[in-house]
Amino acid sequence: MRILGEVALLAAFVAGGYAAFACLAAQLARRTHLVRSGVAAAGAACLGLTITLAVLAWALVVKDFQFEYVAQYTSRELPWHYSLSALWVGQAGSLLLWTWLAAMLSLVYLATSRDAGPRPLVAFGILWANVSFLMAILVFAADPMKTGLAARSEGLGLSPLLQHPSMLIHPPVVFLAYAAWTIPFAEAASALLLDRLDAGWTQAARPWALFSWMVLGTGLWLGADWAYQELGWGGYWGWDPVENGSLLPWLTGTALIHALMAWRHRGGLKKLAVWLAILTFGLCNFATFLTRSGIFSSVHAFSQSPIGWMFLGLMAVLLLGGSGLVYYRRQRLVPERPLVSVLARESVVLVSVYLLLLLAAVVLAGTLYTPLSPLFAGRMVQIGPAFYNNVFLPIGVLLLAATAVVPLLRWGAVPRGEQWKAMVVSLCVAGGAAGAAAALGLAHPAAIAVTGLAVLCVAATVAGVLLDVRRRSGAGTIPAILLALRTGRRQYGGYLVHLGIACVAIGIAGSSLGTRRLEVDLDEGESIEWAGRRIENVRLVQREEPDKLVAEVELLVAPARGRPALLKPARHYHLLQDQWTTEVAIHSTWGGDFYTILHAGLGDGRVALTLIENPLMRWIWLGGGLALAGAAVAALPLRRRRTRQGGRLGSHSRLAAVPARRRAA
Amino acid sequence: MRPHTKLALGAIVLAGAAAYLAYLGAATSWRYYVLVDECASSRTELVGQRLRVSGRVAAGSLALAADRSRATFRLCGQHAQVPVTCRGPIPDNLKEDMEVVVEGTLETSGTLRGDKLMTRCASKYEATASREAGTPRR
Repeated sequence: MRILGEVALLAAFVAGGYAAFACLAAQLARRTHLVRSGVAAAGAACLGLTITLAVLAWALVVKDFQFEYVAQYTSRELPWHYSLSALWVGQAGSLLLWTWLAAMLSLVYLATSRDAGPRPLVAFGILWANVSFLMAILVFAADPMKTGLAARSEGLGLSPLLQHPSMLIHPPVVFLAYAAWTIPFAEAASALLLDRLDAGWTQAARPWALFSWMVLGTGLWLGADWAYQELGWGGYWGWDPVENGSLLPWLTGTALIHALMAWRHRGGLKKLAVWLAILTFGLCNFATFLTRSGIFSSVHAFSQSPIGWMFLGLMAVLLLGGSGLVYYRRQRLVPERPLVSVLARESVVLVSVYLLLLLAAVVLAGTLYTPLSPLFAGRMVQIGPAFYNNVFLPIGVLLLAATAVVPLLRWGAVPRGEQWKAMVVSLCVAGGAAGAAAALGLAHPAAIAVTGLAVLCVAATVAGVLLDVRRRSGAGTIPAILLALRTGRRQYGGYLVHLGIACVAIGIAGSSLGTRRLEVDLDEGESIEWAGRRIENVRLVQREEPDKLVAEVELLVAPARGRPALLKPARHYHLLQDQWTTEVAIHSTWGGDFYTILHAGLGDGRVALTLIENPLMRWIWLGGGLALAGAAVAALPLRRRRTRQGGRLGSHSRLAAVPARRRAA
Repeated sequence: MRPHTKLALGAIVLAGAAAYLAYLGAATSWRYYVLVDECASSRTELVGQRLRVSGRVAAGSLALAADRSRATFRLCGQHAQVPVTCRGPIPDNLKEDMEVVVEGTLETSGTLRGDKLMTRCASKYEATASREAGTPRR
């Protein structure tokens, strides 16, 4: 089986390289006869990669320790689903998965592309150039089919920290996002290369940008959830360099989606849109460099490998080449219409794009500060969370304000009279909410501002949708209203995303500004009063399981109002890894989370605990879910339209790029 | 004033404000990141400074409090060692002969008084080389 996987990988590498060459040469060098063979070679490469991936997955499930990768990351006692998840834990396996996802997405892209012109084929060639780069790393530097030097009867096992449901899906989701961001980049690059800088590429890139944003957002959400549940420090984001690496393309990707909107509606932000498509994909490679190069000590990455530097090199090539292309085509990227007012929707979009880029610049500066600091400080210097929080708080509030008012603004004009009235009413409602929050005891100015702006977002969205539906439906009948909702789906999906972001802001403000912590030792049967709750140590229980020893304390947590909850924070000793892990217990309500950590048993049922109160935590997860749902609604395709060339579009239309006389030949 | 000009001026003001806030944040949260050997050789210069020191936990030196609220050990570099007393949450996987990063303040006695301890990542992209292949630990 191992030989099969090795041969399949090599074959895929050769076929993939030819696919990239053929599809690019077919359009750029007018060798159009190469189209068929290029697409066929891509299909063959996908098959080869699928075989290689299946071989490794099979080896992991059956625990074939002949494979060095399997021996490094699994053991005989590891459940099969965690064995399979080891596919994306190590260097070679995770690269193989990423490569396979990029290859598969390229076929989906080609099959679903609605453009019969040459641009999709050039984009397809660019996608396969990227896949070939990844395959080259696999073949020459990170072979997943490698055998170990000595025969093994047992593996080293998977770290207990990675044996968690979120870790089953967080890494493949992030790799899917990195693979997906290649497509908007390929669309932009092909538009630049072919000088086809009309709105067509934006229509093709938009759904892929939304999909990539959704998937990367899901990856960030899962990672934060894993950190919160598994790392046991009570937080969900530590400004870790590797976390920052994934946040960067999410920020620039958000800016890209809005720039594409401005191009589509007003023919504006053209240079920004193409440059952001290139930058976002470049930052995905930068994130990979951060994780795999070993230049940072991080909770995510302690490895040192030359592979990371290859991704940095690719990013440099992309940014330099892309910037050069944008400059070369600058005359074709001038705005079609001027900005008419700072109160027009495109002005607020422009401000939001710049705010997002400002946040990305701060994250990048903070992340690179440490490795570059010896150059100007003489010694390596690290900076803490205050660097990021000081900027994210005010800029985040401004972004929330811009997000909130957008439903009551218009493209290309100042708001209408009825929109102004709705704005005044929404502001009054928001002001009232902020005042009520302050009267109820909320003291921090940022918390009051976030409360008011979140309510403004809801009020303005409701008002905006009502005004819009009334204007679209005219007759006011139910069918007319439903039709108006359907035709405005993309816009309303965007509003749902904004509502989700407002919820996330509420959760972040509450959990960051109102969190409380207590370190306490409790005897069995002893109780304390803290954070409006009575917490009792009922008993400490110890038991043995096949792969671990468990020490678990039962805590009865009784709030002043509401039902009591029995929480069981624990510590596990994993026998194979000779390692302890902490398993936190959380009681979650809409008001906040009560988070408990067991540090140690002190004898005779006495336990050492940390108790944390995190207000409004659940709103972060709710907001994330709403934002992702909104993006899905906005990304769903509209009904297919027939093109000016005639005929229904599909993958067979790739042949339309080949002139008739050549086809006849 | 044209809309572009107003927006450009606003962007400049915002960028300046953000840079100032970032500077304030860095000024209150920065710390030197050094290896053990440098920590030992530059002791007089680094005493009283907020540091992050990277090294290896010396074999036979680790002592943990019963409630895991404190750990003492010697942190080894290539040539030098630094005694460490660390208070605060102690990572579950802390062991001897393991690479760690300790954050704290260097005292005049040469002891690093830490309040944060970071250990090796959970097998991300690199398995532990020191484990003997095929031999499960009990």
